[in-house]
Amino acid sequence: MSEDTNQNDPLMQWVTFYLGDEKYGINVMQVQEVLRYSEIAPVPGAPNYVLGIINLRGNVVTVIDTRNRFGLPSKETDDASRVVIIETENHIIGILVDSVAEVVELKASEIETAPNVGNEDSSKYIQGVTSRENELLILVDLNKLLSEDEKAELDML
Amino acid sequence: MKSKQKTATKQIVQHEQALDLYFKNMLGDLLSGQVAPEPKVEVKTHPKSQIKRVPEPVIAKEEPKTQTRQAATKTEGKIMPLSVMPEWSQQEFQTLFFKVDKMILAVPLTELLRTITFDRSVTRIPEQPSWFMGLMDELDSRIGVLDSGQLIFGKSRGMQRNLQEKPYQSILITADGRWGMACDGVLSIGKLTPEKVRWRTCRQRRPWLVGTVIDELVTVIDIRKLVPYRKNEV
Repeated sequence: MSEDTNQNDPLMQWVTFYLGDEKYGINVMQVQEVLRYSEIAPVPGAPNYVLGIINLRGNVVTVIDTRNRFGLPSKETDDASRVVIIETENHIIGILVDSVAEVVELKASEIETAPNVGNEDSSKYIQGVTSRENELLILVDLNKLLSEDEKAELDML
Repeated sequence: MKSKQKTATKQIVQHEQALDLYFKNMLGDLLSGQVAPEPKVEVKTHPKSQIKRVPEPVIAKEEPKTQTRQAATKTEGKIMPLSVMPEWSQQEFQTLFFKVDKMILAVPLTELLRTITFDRSVTRIPEQPSWFMGLMDELDSRIGVLDSGQLIFGKSRGMQRNLQEKPYQSILITADGRWGMACDGVLSIGKLTPEKVRWRTCRQRRPWLVGTVIDELVTVIDIRKLVPYRKNEV
């Protein structure tokens, strides 16, 4: 009975981070590691949502300006800034966030679709929202953070 | 021959004036102040060619049809029939008066669930329009909080407001419990009868603006037309 319930309502773990005042969650299974902010080398001609590249143990990883992607004003990095290395459909990329918070467990039934009052493309990477400890957590679908064209663009950097 | 033409011209002029008067009487209330003034009918300068055509039986038969069609088009295209007015506008209704910036607006109470004090922050969803302030959990519902200033005054004027320096004070929650209209304050509750309102029946632009309270010059809004349609249902 409980197995059935679990199958119907699977439990997922989410890594949460802050951008500005809002708290976001990403699927823990897609997070490879969390790095302290280190120098990011700019890439000439890169799109504006790309901060640059870092060397991760011999591999070049592109770092995304998450604030830019989410339409938020830019902010100077500080001690709390982190680069979260994630895997999205065979692409390893880094996302710069203001700070990383914790890992939380959520049942699928706790996640509700977020309203989209913008155009078709706006915030399509927002998987849903859930309420935790009197604050709303915005869940991000990392596979939709970049479009196919943008992923192809990153490959060519 | 000339006197016959003169008589015909006089008849046409009288006919058009009568029709003009008829439509003005019939639509007068609907048109007052809402529709761009119609072009004036030139009663003195009918070209002779038109005068000659009128007495012909075929044209004389077609004339009323053309007029009917124009009136119907006008009804469908510009003037919405009273039947499409919100249901609450058909009889006396209780109204909540509230303030956005310096403007006082009225909304029927039946369209609202409750009002709350705007004393918490909202959770902003990335890449949504600037008038969508964010989400807020309120009792048993999750409401989308809307910047009434931007929705009512338009994006350019509404965005001039610095919400950090001059935050909204109250939120009107819609009857379905899904939207909150952020405003500067709830003023009072009163009753309105339909005759106290100049109803706006031509609402292609600003369909949410349904009328004006004649004495107080307060804008009556249809909140259902002001809140957006949610593409993704919660």
